[in-house]
Amino acid sequence: MPADAPPRILLVDDETSITESLAPFLSRSGFAVRVAGDGAEALEEAGSWHPDIIVSDVVMPRVDGRELIRRLRAAGDQTPAILLTQVGESSERSAALEEGADDYLNKPFDPQELVARVRAVLRRVAAGAAPLVSSQTLTAEGLRVDRPARRVWHEGAEVALTPKAFQLLEYLMARPGEVHSRERLLSAVWGYDFAVHTRAVDHRVSELRTAFGDDAAQPRYVETVAGTGYRFRAKVARG
Amino acid sequence: MRARLLLFVPAVAALAVAAVAAVLGDGRTVVVAGTVPGMLVGAALVLAAVAGAVIAAMAARERAFRRGREEAAAERDREHRRFLDRLDHELKNPVTAIRAAVAASEDASAHLDVIDAQTTRLARLVGDLRKLSELQTAPLERVSVDLGEVVAEVAEAIREAYGRPVTVTLPSAPWPLPPVTGDPDLLFSAVYNVVVNAVKYSEESDTVELRGNERDRTVVLEVADTGRGIPAADVGDVFEELARAANARDRPGSGLGLALVRTIVHRHGGDVEITSREGAGTSVRIALPVER
Repeated sequence: MPADAPPRILLVDDETSITESLAPFLSRSGFAVRVAGDGAEALEEAGSWHPDIIVSDVVMPRVDGRELIRRLRAAGDQTPAILLTQVGESSERSAALEEGADDYLNKPFDPQELVARVRAVLRRVAAGAAPLVSSQTLTAEGLRVDRPARRVWHEGAEVALTPKAFQLLEYLMARPGEVHSRERLLSAVWGYDFAVHTRAVDHRVSELRTAFGDDAAQPRYVETVAGTGYRFRAKVARG
Repeated sequence: MRARLLLFVPAVAALAVAAVAAVLGDGRTVVVAGTVPGMLVGAALVLAAVAGAVIAAMAARERAFRRGREEAAAERDREHRRFLDRLDHELKNPVTAIRAAVAASEDASAHLDVIDAQTTRLARLVGDLRKLSELQTAPLERVSVDLGEVVAEVAEAIREAYGRPVTVTLPSAPWPLPPVTGDPDLLFSAVYNVVVNAVKYSEESDTVELRGNERDRTVVLEVADTGRGIPAADVGDVFEELARAANARDRPGSGLGLALVRTIVHRHGGDVEITSREGAGTSVRIALPVER
């Protein structure tokens, strides 16, 4: 692919009303777009066209979105993927991430937000950080997170965190260097975002800073981006 | 029914034995001798046993009735959630398509902005309704929560967002408010939503007070205001989803705030009540069990 060629998006949804409106929008936003009507078609396209990223619905006939990701990963295909989930429950969302999706958006989403997510994932891949989202252990400057065991160590000593603070740390750490708005963090980590004030995010960030002895003015880990949100600033590696 | 018939077995059996005895010409007499106190104690014991059996039977009946009613209410809740799930599911794709079509349109126009804003609003409303119903069963974080801190945070957040002072009165003697167990983010939301209403439906010159006290292993947080109050006809419905009082329509709102408050408080084993007089003010009391 020439350096200046537009990034290729494979858009997968069985709802033609979605693909017919979303594909032109993504083209206008500077992407080359192809459409597949379900996971089986998407697997064929992925094999022949080699998209840079797959944006897929979850609920589809034949091969659904989750199965699509599972089959791609099982075949050693690491093409990044964003799932357009139909489900709001946080357990379903974390399941989507654990199965190897790089991000997800709840329908109905703001089309601009999809473009922002796509660009963020592509940047992550370009920076070589993509495998972090599927890594079981994450480490960064004296910090070690064991994701399946839900345990954290700082400078060798285990640290107790509330479940939400752990999930927030995990989300930020798997996406280092990216700025996440409080609203995005609420919908990604809390799920029932309408029920919770954005201050909840600030509380858990300050819990993390206290737990790691981090200074808000000069943080090693979670940095406040004025007027925008938060960013994990340390370099993160797979454990 | 069969159990009830069994009650008559001893009586029927005694009658049958008596009939047989009569036919056989058994005319013997049995004389039972005993002291008066002894007989009285015996009679009292029999009466007490009968009374106990009747009370137990009534309690069992009451329990069964209550269980039936709770099951019916739970089934109604489940049906309600299923309906919202389906509605949410059916609206998602059309709304996503409309938003994408608006975003893909070559020419910007005020009409398109209206379409985009209103579909977004519709989508949010249905999504919020579904999330609210999910919250009735979603697993909650359960940590120790200092309500004094929550109250102080709420007052600060209200000052920031609305520029209105909230008078906070919390006990410090003989001891401060004890902690409760629960989800700190949701408890903050519950208190915040009530105070937002107090601020929204009152004027700059009105008073908003936030008080806390402890009684009978329960912490009660009261939010009181001298605002416009709620018409008597609407007070009973304000905790219902989408309910909005007749005199509240001039302020923006989804009608989900107090429904959310009630859901959160119930999920924490507590209760919430409201007292209001139109033109005088409103008091909302959130009661939460003290941490064990």
